Formats: sequence, C-alpha cells, structure tokens
Amino acid sequence: MTAELVFQQALNGLSFGALLFILASGLSLVFGMMDVVNLAHGAFYMLGAYVALSVVQSTGSFWLAMLVAPLALGVLGFVLEPLLLRRLRARHLDQVLLTIGVSLVIVDVIGQVWGREVRSLSAPAGLDGSVTLIGGVYPVYRLFVIAFGVALAAAMAVVYRRTRIGMLIRAGVQDAEMLGALGVDTNRLFASTFATGAALAGLAGVIAAPVFGVQPGMDTDPGLLYSLVVVVVGGLGTLSGAVAGSLLVGPADTFGKVLFQDVALAVIFAIVALVLLLKPTGLLGRIRIAR
Amino acid sequence: MGGFGKNELAAKRGYTYRLTRRQFLVATSAAALAACGPAAVTPGASPSASPGKELKIGQLLPFTGVYAELGNSMRRATELYLKLNDQKLANRPVKLVYGDDENKTPTGIQITQKFIDQDQVDVMMGVVPTPLAYGIRNAVHAAKLIFIDTNAGGNALTRDTTDCKPACKSPYIFRASFSSYQISYPIGDYVSAKGTKEFYLAYANYGFGTESAADFTTGLKKNGGNVTGNVAPPLANPDFAPFVTQIKNQPTKNVYSFFSGADAIGFIKSWNSLGLPAAGYRMYGAGFLTEQDVLKEVKDLANGAITSLFWAVELDNAENKKFVADFQKAYLLLPDVFAVQQYDGMRALDEALKKLGGDTSDKDKLVKALEDVSFKSPRGDFTFDKSTHNPIQDIYIREVKTQNGQTVNTITDKIAKVTDPGK
Amino acid sequence: MRAALVAAAAAAVVTFPYWSRPWASPFATTLLRDALILAIFALSLDLLVGRAGMPSLGHAAFFGAGAYAAGIAGQRFATDQLPVTLGAAALVGAALALLIGVLVVRSEGIFFLMLTLALAQIVFAIAFQWTAVTGGSNGLSGVGRPMLAAVDFSAPDLMYVLVAVTFVLAVLVLWGLARSPYGRALTGVRENERRMRALGYDTARLRLSAFVIAGTIAGIAGALSAYSTRFVSAQDAGLGNSVRAFVTVLVGGAGTLGGPIVGSALVSLIERVVPSLLPTDLRIADAILGIVFIGFVLFARQGVVGLGHATLLRVSRR
Repeated sequence: MTAELVFQQALNGLSFGALLFILASGLSLVFGMMDVVNLAHGAFYMLGAYVALSVVQSTGSFWLAMLVAPLALGVLGFVLEPLLLRRLRARHLDQVLLTIGVSLVIVDVIGQVWGREVRSLSAPAGLDGSVTLIGGVYPVYRLFVIAFGVALAAAMAVVYRRTRIGMLIRAGVQDAEMLGALGVDTNRLFASTFATGAALAGLAGVIAAPVFGVQPGMDTDPGLLYSLVVVVVGGLGTLSGAVAGSLLVGPADTFGKVLFQDVALAVIFAIVALVLLLKPTGLLGRIRIAR
Repeated sequence: MGGFGKNELAAKRGYTYRLTRRQFLVATSAAALAACGPAAVTPGASPSASPGKELKIGQLLPFTGVYAELGNSMRRATELYLKLNDQKLANRPVKLVYGDDENKTPTGIQITQKFIDQDQVDVMMGVVPTPLAYGIRNAVHAAKLIFIDTNAGGNALTRDTTDCKPACKSPYIFRASFSSYQISYPIGDYVSAKGTKEFYLAYANYGFGTESAADFTTGLKKNGGNVTGNVAPPLANPDFAPFVTQIKNQPTKNVYSFFSGADAIGFIKSWNSLGLPAAGYRMYGAGFLTEQDVLKEVKDLANGAITSLFWAVELDNAENKKFVADFQKAYLLLPDVFAVQQYDGMRALDEALKKLGGDTSDKDKLVKALEDVSFKSPRGDFTFDKSTHNPIQDIYIREVKTQNGQTVNTITDKIAKVTDPGK
Repeated sequence: MRAALVAAAAAAVVTFPYWSRPWASPFATTLLRDALILAIFALSLDLLVGRAGMPSLGHAAFFGAGAYAAGIAGQRFATDQLPVTLGAAALVGAALALLIGVLVVRSEGIFFLMLTLALAQIVFAIAFQWTAVTGGSNGLSGVGRPMLAAVDFSAPDLMYVLVAVTFVLAVLVLWGLARSPYGRALTGVRENERRMRALGYDTARLRLSAFVIAGTIAGIAGALSAYSTRFVSAQDAGLGNSVRAFVTVLVGGAGTLGGPIVGSALVSLIERVVPSLLPTDLRIADAILGIVFIGFVLFARQGVVGLGHATLLRVSRR
C-alpha cells in the first residue's frame, strides 16, 4: 500500500463515514431522547430516497429534493409518534417492536407505489465532476458529503447546546419525567424529536442516493444495519457518539473490506460485538442514571 | 424495564403460566387447522394428461425482495407468450400457478413442495437465484417433475458433479437461460486469443461471481493469459469507491468484472467518478454487468464496456425484432434478458407439446420431446444439449455505445454454438 | 383426566398424516411439519424471551448451526444415523450457545438485543462465506434423510412423524422445566434480578444455562429442517429467521407454552395463505404482517394465548 493509496482510501473512509453520520444521526437522536431504537429508521431512509427520486424526476432539482424529502418524512414522523408510539410510553421495548411493524408496512408501500426496480440518482450538476488531488482524480460529490456531514454535526451541536429546544432535549434525555413535571409539553417535544429523527433519515436518503443507490432492500442494507452499527459503537443517544461511531466505522469498514476481503461481512459485526462487550454503552455513551 | 420485565396479566390475576390442557388442545388443534387452511383442504385434481385438458404450470418467481423486478419481467414474458398463442400451449389451455419465493430459499422449497403435492402441476418453471435451484433439485428429481429453469445459472445444475454437490443434472431438469460458464469462459478465450492476455478481476463475492471469475480465468489461461489480482466486494455492497480505488492503484488496465443489478450500477458509477476511463482502464464483464436494468440508470457512463451474453436487445434477427416489438406494444417497456429466458422456456415447452399432440401422460416422452426441440428464438438458434439439458447457444461479444441518444449493447462479434462442458 | 386428554392430543398431532389423508393433500402434512419445526424453534426462543426475560434477536444462529451440523456430520462421518446427526446438531447448538452466551449474558434489554443480533450476523457471515464447509452462498445440498437403526425416515409421512414426536418431546421438556424450581428461578430473574441475587441465586449462571438450553433445542429444530428439505441455506442462520421466530413468540404470547405453538400456526397461515388470496399485482403480505404485528403490540401484548386467557377469565366470571 503506497502513501497515495492510503490517502485515497482514507478519503473514501471519511466520505463513507460522513454518509454514515448523516444516516445515523436521526437514530441516535430518537434513542437519546425517547429511549427507543427506531427500527423503522432504515425504512424512513429508504422512503426519503424514493421521494427524492420523484422530486428529481418531476422537477429535475436535486436541491429541491433535499428540502422536500426531509420535510415529508418529518410530517410522517410527527403523525406516527402520537398515533402509535405515544400509547406505549414507558414501554420502551414494546415501542421498538412496534417500529418493526411500521418498517414492514412502509417498505411494502414503497414497493407498490414506486415499483421494485433498481434505481439511482445522480449527483446534482455542479457537484458531479472530479477534482485533481494528491494521487489523482477524486469526485467532488464525496468531498461535498464530508463538508455537509461536518456542517450538519456542527449545526446539531449548536442547536443542542445553545438553543432552548436543545436544552429541552438535553433535559429530556436526562429525565423526561421531571421535565414533564416542570410543565414542559413532553408530548409535543417527543413528537418533534421523532419527526426530526425521521427527517434526518429522509435527508440521508437523498444525500446518500448518488453513492448508495435506490433499490429494494436498502432499508436493511445499508440503512438500518449501518445506522445500528454506528450508533452502538459510538454511543447510543449522544451526538458525539454518532460522530465518533461514524468516524470509526467509516474508515474501518472501508479498509477492512479491502484488506480482509473474505471476512469482510463478519468484520463489521465483530467490531460491534467487541465494543458492546468492552463498553456496553458504546465508546462515548454515558451510563444512564434512571433506566 | 418495561415490556418483558413485567408479566402484567399474571400479576393482576395472581396466576402463573402453566401449560393447561386447554392451552395444549387449543394450540395443537389451531396448528392442525392452520395446516388444513383453505389452501390445503382441497386435494388437487389429478394431472390431466390428455389433449384439450388444462395444462398446469407452476411458476416459482420472486415478486418481493431484491429480485422482484426480474420476477415481474418474467411474468410479463409468460403472459405475452400465452396472449400471442390464444392462452394455449399446443392444444392445451394453460393454467398458471404463481408462487413468490421472496428470494428466500426455504420459502421457495416449500412452494415447490406445494406445486408437487397440492397443485399437482404438470410442469414447473422459473427460479431466479441459484441457491434455490440447487435447493429444489432433489425434490424435483424425486417427484419426476419437469422443471424448466428460466434463470438460475449455477453450472452444477446441468452437470455431472461428484456426490451431486452442490447439485447435479437431472433428466427432468432443463435450462432455458444459460450456465455461468457460457457467459464467462468464451469471452476469456476470445480476448486472450486476440492478444489481451493480462487481466485484473473485480467480482461480487458470492457463488455466481466467484464462478464467473473462475471460468473467465480458465478461458484466459487457455491462450497463455493470466490474472494479476482481484477485488471481491460483498454482495449488495453500498460503497464501491474503496474497491475501484484499489483497481486504480495497480498497473493492469484490463479489468474483468462480474456484477449485476444495484452492484453493477454502483461499480460503474464509481469507475467513472474516480477517473478510470481517462486513466486508460478498460472494463470487461459478463453480460449482466451492462444489461437493461443497469444501462437505463448509468447510461453513457458504461460506454466502452465489453461484455458477453447470449442476447442483446439490439440483436438483429427477425424473431428478436418481433419479440421486442410485441413486448413494447403490450407493456410499453423494452424486454430484458430475463424476459427472453422465460419466453424461450415457454416456447420450448410449446414445441415439445406440439410434437406430442399435447399429451403429457408419459413423462419420459415429454423429456425426449424437449430434448429434440429446435427453434429460432430472439437469441438465435435454440436447442438443448441432449446430455446436459443446458442450451446450446451463440454468445455475442458486445460493446456499450450511445447511438441516437440511447445507450445500448452493440454486437461486435459472435462465438457460435457454445456448449457447457457438462463436467 | 387432563393427562389423558393431553396424550390424546399428542397422539392426534403425531398421526396427522394418516387420519387427514382422505380429505387433505400431502401438502397439508408438509405445511404442518414446517409449522411444527417453527414451533420448536419458537418454543426454545420463548424460554429466553418469555420466561427468562432475555429478548434475543439472534436465535437463528443456533438454528442454522444445528442445521449445518446435521448435514455436515452426516456427510463427514458417512452415516445417516439419527444419534450421530441429531446429536451433532444438539452439541453444536449447545456449544455455540455457550460461546455466545458467555459474551451476552451480562447485558440486558436493548443492549442484549443488539449484541445477540450482531453476533448472529457474524455466524451468518461465516455460513455465507465458508464455501468449503457450508457450501457458502449456494447452500449445503445433499443432506441425508435420517435413519434410526433400520428405520428410514425418508418417506414424507415418516419424516413428519419424526418432527411431530420431537415436537411433543420438546413441549414436555419445556413444560417440565417451567414447573421446576429451575423454571421458577428463571421467572424470578426476569421479574426482579436484583432480588434473586440478594436471595443468593447466581443469576448469570441461570441466564447462561437458559441460553444454552434454548440454543440446543434451536439446533435440534434446525436439524429437523435440514432433514425435511435436505438442504441448508445460509438464510437459515440469518436475521430474517430470527425476526420470524421473535414475531411468532410475540404474536402467540410470550411466557406461555401454548403461545409459541399458536404463534407458529398463525404465522405459517399468514405466510402461506395471504399471498395466494391477494391479486398477483398486490404484493403487500409483509405490510399485512406488519399491521397485524402492530395491532398485537398495541392491543394484545400478551399475544393470542394471553388474549384467550383474558377472555376465558372474563367469561368464567360472568
């Protein structure tokens, strides 16, 4: 492996990690706030990609899709939370099971409405070229993805730490019951959080589409599987956990697949198992006070 | 902890869960009733063998899961054939029984058993994934059910293998599609004979991919060629950049690839965005790399790719022109190779039945009639190899070009009458 | 009296092919056979999920391992004798469960769920890639039909009897387990682990032993599946199979013995019957399963059996 090759693969790993972060951020947010592992997260991601397909097909604008898809998913999340999840407040494991059912429904509906062909989305004009870097030519879109991931993480950090809603979320993560007792409308907070998580999944669907494609099965692979891996490894429920997880899993998966071809499938889950065994709450996860 | 932590009902009623007589009876009778559900109660009518009576064909296809679109395409081809033939094969009106294997081998095996025991089909067709074809091989053989495989290309299905592993040929199994050897070895032989001898391999790391890569390598070696290395991404790989980056950082410019569907799209897009064409790398592959489903998404990004397959939508013969036109008229879509395979399977059965006057009472006669079919298919001349039941067919060398705004596989050469070695 | 009725029911299940043949096709036997295999698998999972409070989403690893073990043992030792192949399946199931169990047993709830999922995926990946041993993605073919001394269980009806007898035995074993002090200790661990530990129970060891027993029975179920279809596919160890068993346990009613049995009947019914009732253009069988599942989680959390109990109790109170 030459230095150039390592550099290129590092860029690949970073851009892959950035996509994983955008994908996993919503899952992490929902778990952190509501203690629910939303197993329909992959289905939301898939729905975002298909909505983007329709938007691009009818308007030709990738950027518009980047607005519409998260919005649509956000609305869906805002409706689903009170409709289904709220009835099971405090029954966390049951809420997780419920999301399995939701995922089954969404995936079948996508198949009926959009069909089951393999589709794809191109990078938007302006970002679809390549730029010359050390070691050769590199796609601009992947650099954009890195920049976007960083920007998203920064924005989420700012909202989390410096806004009122962020403070409410942080308080809710610590102790939702107390927050309710203090007069905050936790119902609305939870619905908004779930909606944001769904919107982030939808956003990931659009942004990842030029790289990961749009096809049946994407809700599990890469959708849910990689989100779970990132969030579990990095630390469930925290923003820094999602960042840490994607920074670790992205390059590890990239280098692992190339260096250990035959066991590539097993490598990523071995990492998950290892982290869970050594530090069950994930690398940057916190031990919770109330469970 | 919620959920499983509290046995609410027990707590409320002061009641521990034990198996009661009632539970056991209810449970087992429910199980028995379920098994005897509407689908199972009526034993199928005995196979109607005589002319004029209905011919039941069981079609095992994927309608959900990653191969769903292939299943849909194959269904369209089936129904088109019947539409053009008055819903009959020879003089027998046809009843189709579809089963969705959902790309799950256990489901497909169970549906095959249903075809045999319950629906009592006369003939079985379909099967997209090779593991499923291998999985049902013994059941079909034991039941003496004539099965026309219209996709699964695993070599072993039509060969003599040791201990019949992973599968082996059967007199009752015919294949109307291809063996992966046929789309991999000839192109290896062809390119190395023409002087391009050194190749790097990139293939999906599963049965079909490894088999294709191995057969291509054998073809290369026949003319003194060799393989300098490989990358093998897992099946359904999301990000191809790491693998294409590896390719770009090694000196062998000719790359033979085996990918299909979403993997092919991801590979070709990465190949371009990382600048491989400009750096002089040339893409070769088995035909599925650049079939319709891929080309319609990547379009001119695939230009220059050289692949081998037994068909292309552009193929210029009367049968194909008619087939493409009929398909487009019926469905407003271009047919794909899966549709051709299924269409030919129906045609083969039709021709065999015509010879027998529609009489399917003697299985061995039907086998012999199928072995003897010979017709002009959209892919060219079609016959079965009498010893393996795999098609003997022309393999076309194709190059992807954009013509008149459409990206298509243009035919540049032909390797005539390729037979699978059978061992 | 009760024992006599249970024995009669068991006899009816075991002899099903013979008394049903006049009015049901042989496929009914195949369906019931597959439902019973699912039932054994689900019963073993329920030992974890329902009784011990350990929600495992990786139970198919043991099912698959047992299936492969039965097939490979038959081929490597050139024998079809049941004690060898079924024994191998049980042994491999137990060993793998011990290996994985040691790693997972100290986790709880959501972490336990994800750890079992991750470890099972590793098993699946190995099955999918290790072509030399498992046949890789193409699967393991040529699994022999089992023999016991001179009795050849090849015939479909005899194969069914083998499965049915194993089912009855599994139910008896799990029933005995549930009533025993061991079973009650497991329930105690589920309800309040801290108190159990305070009472002096080694809860980690209790959990581990439950995990191993469940893995062994799952391995046996896998072997039966391999004998029936004479084929093992990597998917037998996959996530889809784990989820299927989980749904079965939940829908039927976790923590009851009848629950997984009723659940298998229901799931088999939905999987087989629903797609054939829908028009070929409408492929929403999964969505229907999803809606049914949501319904159960929301309104009938204790599953069908739990619902049945509640109704019976309400009726008997009138």
